[in-house]
Amino acid sequence: MSESTVVNAALGSAPAHGRPESAEDAAEHTGGRIASVLSYLRARPGLVAAVIWIVLLVLAALAPTLFTGTDPLESVALPRTAPSAAHVFGTDDIGRDLFARVVHGTRLSLGAAALAIAIGVVVGTVLGLLAGYLGGWVDAAVMRMVDVLLSIPAILLALALVVALGFGTVNVAIAVGLTSIAGNARILRSEVLRVRNSTYVEAARAGGARPVRVLVRHVLPNSITPLLALIALDFSSAILAISSLSFLGYGAPPPTPEWGALVSGGRDFLASAWWMTTLPGLVIALTVLAGNRLSRAFTGEGTLR
Amino acid sequence: MKTPPPPARRIIRRAAPLIAVGIAVALAVTGCSPSAKSGSAASATADSSKPVSGGTLTFSLDNDPINLNPRIPGSGNDTLYVERQLVDSLVEQDPATGKIIPWLAESWTVNADATAYTFTLRKGVTFSDGTPLTAAVVKQNFDDIAQNATQATNAITQLAGYTGTSVKDDQTFTVSFSKPDGAFLNAASSVALGILAPSTLALPYPQRADGSKVVGSGPFVLERYTPNTSVVLKRRSGYAWAPKDYGNRAAAYVDKVQFTIVPEAGVRTGSLTSGQVDVIGGVLPQDIQSLKSAKLPLVIRSNPGITFGLTPFIGSGPLADQDVRRALLTAVDRKQIQRSALTPEFKVATNVLAANTPGWADQGKQLGYDPAASKKLLDKAGWKVGAGGIREKDGQKLQLTLGWISNFNPNQSIVQIIQQELKAVGVGVTLWSGTVPQLLAQEASGKLDLLYGNLSRADGDVLRTQFSSATTATTNKFDDAELDQLLTAQLGTADQSKRNKIAQQAQERILQLGYDVPIVELTTVLGTQRNVHGVVLGADSRLGLLVDAYVGKK
Repeated sequence: MSESTVVNAALGSAPAHGRPESAEDAAEHTGGRIASVLSYLRARPGLVAAVIWIVLLVLAALAPTLFTGTDPLESVALPRTAPSAAHVFGTDDIGRDLFARVVHGTRLSLGAAALAIAIGVVVGTVLGLLAGYLGGWVDAAVMRMVDVLLSIPAILLALALVVALGFGTVNVAIAVGLTSIAGNARILRSEVLRVRNSTYVEAARAGGARPVRVLVRHVLPNSITPLLALIALDFSSAILAISSLSFLGYGAPPPTPEWGALVSGGRDFLASAWWMTTLPGLVIALTVLAGNRLSRAFTGEGTLR
Repeated sequence: MKTPPPPARRIIRRAAPLIAVGIAVALAVTGCSPSAKSGSAASATADSSKPVSGGTLTFSLDNDPINLNPRIPGSGNDTLYVERQLVDSLVEQDPATGKIIPWLAESWTVNADATAYTFTLRKGVTFSDGTPLTAAVVKQNFDDIAQNATQATNAITQLAGYTGTSVKDDQTFTVSFSKPDGAFLNAASSVALGILAPSTLALPYPQRADGSKVVGSGPFVLERYTPNTSVVLKRRSGYAWAPKDYGNRAAAYVDKVQFTIVPEAGVRTGSLTSGQVDVIGGVLPQDIQSLKSAKLPLVIRSNPGITFGLTPFIGSGPLADQDVRRALLTAVDRKQIQRSALTPEFKVATNVLAANTPGWADQGKQLGYDPAASKKLLDKAGWKVGAGGIREKDGQKLQLTLGWISNFNPNQSIVQIIQQELKAVGVGVTLWSGTVPQLLAQEASGKLDLLYGNLSRADGDVLRTQFSSATTATTNKFDDAELDQLLTAQLGTADQSKRNKIAQQAQERILQLGYDVPIVELTTVLGTQRNVHGVVLGADSRLGLLVDAYVGKK
C-alpha cells in the first residue's frame, strides 16, 4: 500500500469506488481504517505529542483544578523556591506556586487566542466574500484597505491597536484578531474569484437563486477550505502575539497569571531564579510548536509527495 | 520620581531579556562561564590603596540620559549622574552630615526671614571654555531660568518666588525672593541649579539638549553623547575646586569616563561579574547576594526624601474617610516586604521622610504591622466584611485602584504583596500601571484611589511639594489648615534646626491624617569591580563627583 493511499484513508477522503459498499466490505474497511490510522500516527510521534499537549491545554483551560489544587494568587511558600516535588515549577518572587499560575493562565491565553482567531476568520471571511463576489468598487475599496493593513507589520499594528483600545486581555485578543483580518480576506477573495464563475454557481444563478443564497450555499462552502487549514497556523501565531503583548505589559494587570506576563515577571530574576522565566517560556514554546505541527498535518502532509 | 523612558524604548528594554535568555542558554550549553574567569583573577588581586592616574572608568547606566541640559528633567537619576560631572553648583550638601558646605561660593549669609541670600564666590574658577566665573554670570544663570520658566521645569521648582539677583562686585551677589525660601541653599546644591557658562546661556533651550553646547565648570567635559548607546566624558586638567567632602579637590584621576546604556538589570549584573565594566548602577535586590559572594564591592545609600509609599486621593470614595486611610498604615507588613522582595540593605520606612533626610524622626512604632487594629478601624468606619472577604458599606465594595510605575525594579513584587496584605484585612486592591504620561492622565481623570511612589530630595521641603493644599488641589485634594501652616513655616527660616523641628511636626500631622502610608526607603545600589575606588553617592544618593575615582591594578 503506497503512503499516499494511507494518508488519504486516514484523512477520511478515500477515493470513491463507484459501487455501493456491502456490509462486509464496510466492516473490513473500518478495520483497515483503524490500522492505517495507527500506522499513520506511529510514523509521526511528533504529531501524537502535539495532539496530547493540545488536549492537556484544553483540559487545563476548562478545569484547571484537575491539575493543581493550589491558589494561583496566594503566597504559599518562600519566595523564589527552586522547583521541587511540592512545587514542580518552583515559586515566584512573592512565593506563589508557579505551576498553579501557569495552569490557571492557560484559560486566559487559549481563550484570547480563540477570540483573536474568531475575529480574524469571521471579519476576514465577510470582507473577502463581498470583495470577490461583488467585484467593482467594493472589491477595489476593500482590497486597498487590505493592502494598507498588510503594509504595516502585524506586531506593530497590534501594539498601536491595543494602545488605542486600552489594556486588558480581551483588548489584546481583539487587537491580534484585527491584524489577521487582512491576510484572511485576501485568501478568501482569491478563492471566491476562482469559484464564482464555475458552472454550478452560474447554474444556481440561472436557476433564480437570490445572491445571498448563492453566496452562502455555493460560493462560501467551496472557497473556505484553504482558510480553515490556516486556522491551526493562526493559532500558533496568535498565542505568540498575545504572549508578546502581555509580556510588554498590555494584558491584564498583576496578579492575573497570563503566560506572557509570567515570563516578563521573572526576567529580573534570571540570575537568581531561572525557572520564573524559563518554565512559562517553555510552555509557550511547546504550545506554538504543537500548533505548527498540527497545521502541517491539516495542510495535507504526505499527500503532496 | 524617576521618569521612565517613553513607551517605544520600554518595549525595546522589555524585549531585551528574551535575547538575554538566549545568550544565557547558549552559555550554559557551551559550558562557558564568565564568572569563573573573574573568580580566579580575584585571588591574585593585590590592590594598592594609592590612587592611580589615567585610564578609563566604564559605568553601565539603566536609562539613556535623553537630555543633557541640567535645567530639564531628562530621564531622571541617570541623567543627573552624567550632568553632575559637567556642572558645579554654588554649594555642596555633605552626604555624611547633611550640612551645606562651600563649593563655587566660599561663604554666604541669609537674612532673618530667608528672602535674601548673599554669596561670595571663590576666586579663580573658570568654565571649560576659559571664561571666568563671576557674580554677573551667576545672575545670568538665575535670570535665564526665570525667563524660561516653562522650559526649565527641573530648575524653576527650585527657584520659586525668585525676584532677581543684585551684583555687588565680581565676587559678591544677592539672590532675592518675594516670599521666604528656607530651602534655597539645598536647592542651590542641586544639579538643576548648576552654573553654566555665558556661551551656553546665549543659546535657546532646544540647542542645549544634546549637551555638546553645555559648558560648565565641572571636573569633566563632554566628549561624545550617542543617544541610547553611550556618553563619553574627558577629564578637565585645570580643575581645582571640588568641595571638601572629596579627598581629591583637583583634577580627576581617570582620563575618561564612559557611561554605557544597558537597560536590562540582569545584563548589567552579568557585565560586572564577567569583568566587562567597572561600575554598574541600579543593582537589583536579588542580585546583591551574588555580587557579594563574588566579593564585588557595593556602594549603597538610602535615598533621602519621601519614602516609597501609598498616597491616597481623598476627594471622593472610601478614602475620604480618615479612619479608612489610617487603617492602611498598620495593614501592611513592611518587614515581610523587606524579606520577600528586598534585602536587609533596603530599609523599611520609619516615617514619611527617609531616615537620612534632614527633618526625619523615628515614627516606626506607628508603622508596625497590626492587622487587628486596622480591622477595628474599618469596622468603626462602617465597612463590614462581605462576600469574598471584601468589606462593604451601603452596598458598595471597598475596592481601591492602586496606580504604580516600574521606576524601581522591585515595585512589581512590592505592590502585589501590598495587594495580598490589604485583602487580608478586607480591602480589595486593583493594580494599574503604565507609562508616566498614562499615569498622569489616569490621575487627572480621578480613576485612582492610591498612588504608589516616592519623591527624592535631601530636604524636608519635599513635604510641601507632596502634601500642601496648594500643590495637591487638582490631584489628591489634601486640605488641612494645620498642616499647610507647618509646611509654610519650615520655609520661613534658614535655621536648619528650627526647620527640622517643624518638618517633624508636619510628618506627625501627615500620619495622623493618613495622608501617606510609608512602606520602604528607596535605596541606590552601585556595584563595582574590586580594583575600582572612590566612586561615591552624594547627599541626594545620586552619583557624586568622580574626582576621587580611579581604576587600580587588577
